[in-house]
Amino acid sequence: MTDDREPSDDDPESQAVRALLKRSLAQDAHDAPDLLPGIQRRLRRRSRGKFFGDGWSTAQTRTSYVLVGLMTILLVALAYIALGTVELR
Amino acid sequence: MPLLDDTEARLVERLVARDERAFNALVRAYEGRVFSVALRMLGNRAEAEDLAQEVFVQVFKAVGTFRGESKLSTWIYRIAINLAKNRGKYLRVRRAEAHDDLDALDQGAGTGQDKRENVARVERPDEMMAGLEVEQVVRRAIQELEPSFRECLVLRDVEDLSYGEIGEITGLPEGTVKSRIHRARAQLKERVERVLGAKTP
Repeated sequence: MTDDREPSDDDPESQAVRALLKRSLAQDAHDAPDLLPGIQRRLRRRSRGKFFGDGWSTAQTRTSYVLVGLMTILLVALAYIALGTVELR
Repeated sequence: MPLLDDTEARLVERLVARDERAFNALVRAYEGRVFSVALRMLGNRAEAEDLAQEVFVQVFKAVGTFRGESKLSTWIYRIAINLAKNRGKYLRVRRAEAHDDLDALDQGAGTGQDKRENVARVERPDEMMAGLEVEQVVRRAIQELEPSFRECLVLRDVEDLSYGEIGEITGLPEGTVKSRIHRARAQLKERVERVLGAKTP
């Protein structure tokens, strides 16, 4: 089969088909699923836990890093104060 | 002139360094487009979702081989189209085998007259499609196109890529891409009109 016809996007027939396609397929694009968790699961499984295996990299923001960091500092500080109080007695 | 802008080049550097957060950002940026292409090529949401996930797994594995000779999006589309073509072939073979099995069952049960009546009922697309919406007719018509025509049509008319980009993705000369798009539109129009019984879409 030879490909010898020169098309144009501007002719009315092409424009009508393009419009029909866009109209018909518009809804599907809005309903795209959330792929990330499934992809991370596959990579974790296939890399035997080397990637996306620590529970951190799957987080979407830095909030959890900061929060746990602050909590750790707070705990250490509380422990230090408590131990200091015991020694003074 | 470099094909990657600074932001994209930095993203690629981070991906090559196996930065998982960069990869998450990449998935978020491209998941809609990759799923859309997969859905148009395969015509089935579950298969499209599975394929789209596989595309990103391949991207993660192969990003070290990306040389920046095309845009990152073009490279990702190329992976998506190649995987979709392979999956499409596999599904067609599987369907054909299942169909053969059903035919064998059918021959073992019922009379020849029964079989003729069943075939006649299924082969009346006008009756079968009468209650369906135009959108469903179009979706079905896309699936009936030859895969090599379908990929060019989807990339141009749904994803709005340039002829040059489609040529890079499919490995076809630009003239062939244009020709396939033209033929695909004509075939699509003809099929939709035939089913709906209308003169113009």
